[in-house]
Amino acid sequence: MTVVELALAIVKILIVVMFLLNMAAIATWADRRQGAMVQDRVGPNRAVVYLPSMIVRGVVFFPPALLGALAVFTATRAMPAPVAVEALVIGAQFAVFVTWLGLLVFCAAARRGGPINAAEEALARFDPRSIFYAGVMAHVLAFFVTQAVPLSAAPTAARVVCVLLGALLVVTGAYTALRVPEGKVALRLLGTLHAAADAIKMIWKEDFIPPKGDRLLHSLAPLLAMFPALVTFAVIPFGDKLCFEDNGDGVFGFADLPLLKRTVDQAFTCGGHVASLQVADLNVGILYIFAMAGTGIIGAALAGWASDNKFSLLGGLRAASQMVSYEVAMGLSVVGLFMIYSSVRLGDMVQWQAEHAWGIFVQPFAFFLFLAALAAETKRIPFDQPEGESEIVSGYFVEYSGMKFGMFMTGEYVELITSSALLVTLFFGGYHLPFLDRDGINVVFGETVLFQYKMTHLAVSLTYALAFFGKTILMTWVQVFFRWTLPRFRYDQVMRLGWTKLLPLTLVNMMVTGIVVLAVDSAPEGLRSGLQVAADVSHALVAVGGFAAVVALIAGLLEPIDRQRTLASTSARFAAAAGGTKASPQQA
Amino acid sequence: MAKATPSNPWTKPAGRPVVGKPVPRPVRSADVQAYIPEIVKGLGITMRHFFKNTKEMVLGQKPDPVLHSLEPGVTTISYPEEKRPYPERFRGIHRLTLRDDNSPRCVACLCCSTACPAQCIAIEPAEYPEGDRRQGYERYPSSFVIDELRCVFCGYCVEACPVDAIRMDTGLHAVPYDSREQFIYRRDLLMSLSDREGSRLTANRRHEPGDPTHPGLSREAADH
Repeated sequence: MTVVELALAIVKILIVVMFLLNMAAIATWADRRQGAMVQDRVGPNRAVVYLPSMIVRGVVFFPPALLGALAVFTATRAMPAPVAVEALVIGAQFAVFVTWLGLLVFCAAARRGGPINAAEEALARFDPRSIFYAGVMAHVLAFFVTQAVPLSAAPTAARVVCVLLGALLVVTGAYTALRVPEGKVALRLLGTLHAAADAIKMIWKEDFIPPKGDRLLHSLAPLLAMFPALVTFAVIPFGDKLCFEDNGDGVFGFADLPLLKRTVDQAFTCGGHVASLQVADLNVGILYIFAMAGTGIIGAALAGWASDNKFSLLGGLRAASQMVSYEVAMGLSVVGLFMIYSSVRLGDMVQWQAEHAWGIFVQPFAFFLFLAALAAETKRIPFDQPEGESEIVSGYFVEYSGMKFGMFMTGEYVELITSSALLVTLFFGGYHLPFLDRDGINVVFGETVLFQYKMTHLAVSLTYALAFFGKTILMTWVQVFFRWTLPRFRYDQVMRLGWTKLLPLTLVNMMVTGIVVLAVDSAPEGLRSGLQVAADVSHALVAVGGFAAVVALIAGLLEPIDRQRTLASTSARFAAAAGGTKASPQQA
Repeated sequence: MAKATPSNPWTKPAGRPVVGKPVPRPVRSADVQAYIPEIVKGLGITMRHFFKNTKEMVLGQKPDPVLHSLEPGVTTISYPEEKRPYPERFRGIHRLTLRDDNSPRCVACLCCSTACPAQCIAIEPAEYPEGDRRQGYERYPSSFVIDELRCVFCGYCVEACPVDAIRMDTGLHAVPYDSREQFIYRRDLLMSLSDREGSRLTANRRHEPGDPTHPGLSREAADH
């Protein structure tokens, strides 16, 4: 291992740990916020920081101004034609995005707080949805217009677009800064500060150890509960492999790092050095995850034992038996996937899904089995009997306070995020996006090529990493929703579900998958190419469905609420049907 | 054929089978038993509420709290961010009204503390100092204490007051405090409270003795 590989490993570990810990803190907030939004409560929003308006103006103005300066700086540099084409496309898309988002925000502000000038008055008359639809149209239009620009004119066009983008960013930032009200501005960030306040509180709280508890094990248990949750992320790839060109000495050194290969082909032929975007590319892959997740039992069981409390002991026992039971179903439910992917390395699995179809389409049944087993493994609702507030207070961590309790909570949420990442990797294509290959966008059905757009290695890798983290966050969001939807199972129901339902079903799934895999392997060529077309159609489904979902979501959020008065009583309804009783409202 | 067990004639009359009211049983069809479709349905419901409420919060379009409660659906009022508007004549925390020169209107007649069924008002009357035009004519409260924990908010003190010195029109309700001591409202605190429009005076302006508008007896005209 060279020094640069070591440095890269440290950077990758930092990325993963920072992502996990930050997301755990955000997830504790998001969990509460989601519950509040489902049940129409206020939710966490007491923590507040009052900022002087000058500072808020700075915060609002400087990031877009910096980005704008960067765009203008890009425009002033020398651009070879291929760079210019990419800069043109990206710059145009960003410019369109900034325009519609800025207009939308100003429109909302004008509608809410009243327009402050004639332009805002005109803007407020627009339906926000039409601004958004126009933005989507402009995105598509800008893409095709920038594609049509001839290669010779590309550098000039790219410069113009970059300067335009810079100006747009600066103007939008400045106008937003102008709209910041005078005086102190209350910064609540929808209650995100609450998580920070909670952490500060937990650090300063008394660290209580029961007098007759086991001091050593009591302190060790939170560590053991948090550690496996953190390390399971090590084998999950959060992006595609990177290819660096060699600078001539044949050794992977720091001088090679700026030499990221411009473009790679689909087969990833790399003459230089390869760096994978995962902390450890182990050949046991997912088996390592199962081994580490199994260790998580010990933390909960030890905490229950060492606390010298009967509720804790019950919780610890429940945690141990439940996690051991569901470990079996969890391991067996993905055996079908191993057969199909014919690998246990997570990178290979993602690659198979990129070339064929996502795991949810080839093993939909295993997805539900795995999801249930995973929820039981992470001790989340509906499988949170080890905590079971209504039965055993809070189970195995009832005797914990301060930061030790905080570590259990953090560990639980880190587990949640790791499990989401695992679900994404196994069933939702990992970092892969439909039709986005290593060399760019290829809309291909079987052998028919519908559309092609080449992208650089850097752009594709960045998109892949963003896609992975985005999908993980989305999956976490869905998993948290189970908590606000489902009631807790009874303990015997959990055991019965695990052993008499999930376990046989995983075995059946395994056998059926084995037979189907054998049948497909010995099938004629025509059927297999037909399957490939079906796989490409599944990609198309995901792409179209995802796009439609995003558009529908934003449009739905922008849709104005029109309320109609419902009449409470029948006599009021009769009166209304008769044309009303009084012209003026009743006086007190 | 097995012999039927004899029924208890007290609870179950012989010869007549007991027919209970049919109770609707939970549906146990295959899709309910499979659990997953039901989960998806439940997720749909929670997500619908989530998006509706998120949208209202982000866009600041929370509905009117009074009219909203007439509508179907979740109608929570997120107190204390949102408050139900109190009616105009709501009896809230007391206040002591002021004269134009910011002295208390109270003449320490003890009518309110006498009328108070909860006995939560304690007044110490004092004479105005020598030379004050009100000296010998009326008194003032050197101490006026209301224990808001004992108060039952009946409003008798307001009705008993002959000079409109105590009112309950602040629109405030009793606030949660840490200690009992904080619920003891003293004279200066009561005088600093205002009505909902922000006025610390009273609607019934007082005609002081000596004012040309004063209709009653003056000290000079009186023979006692």
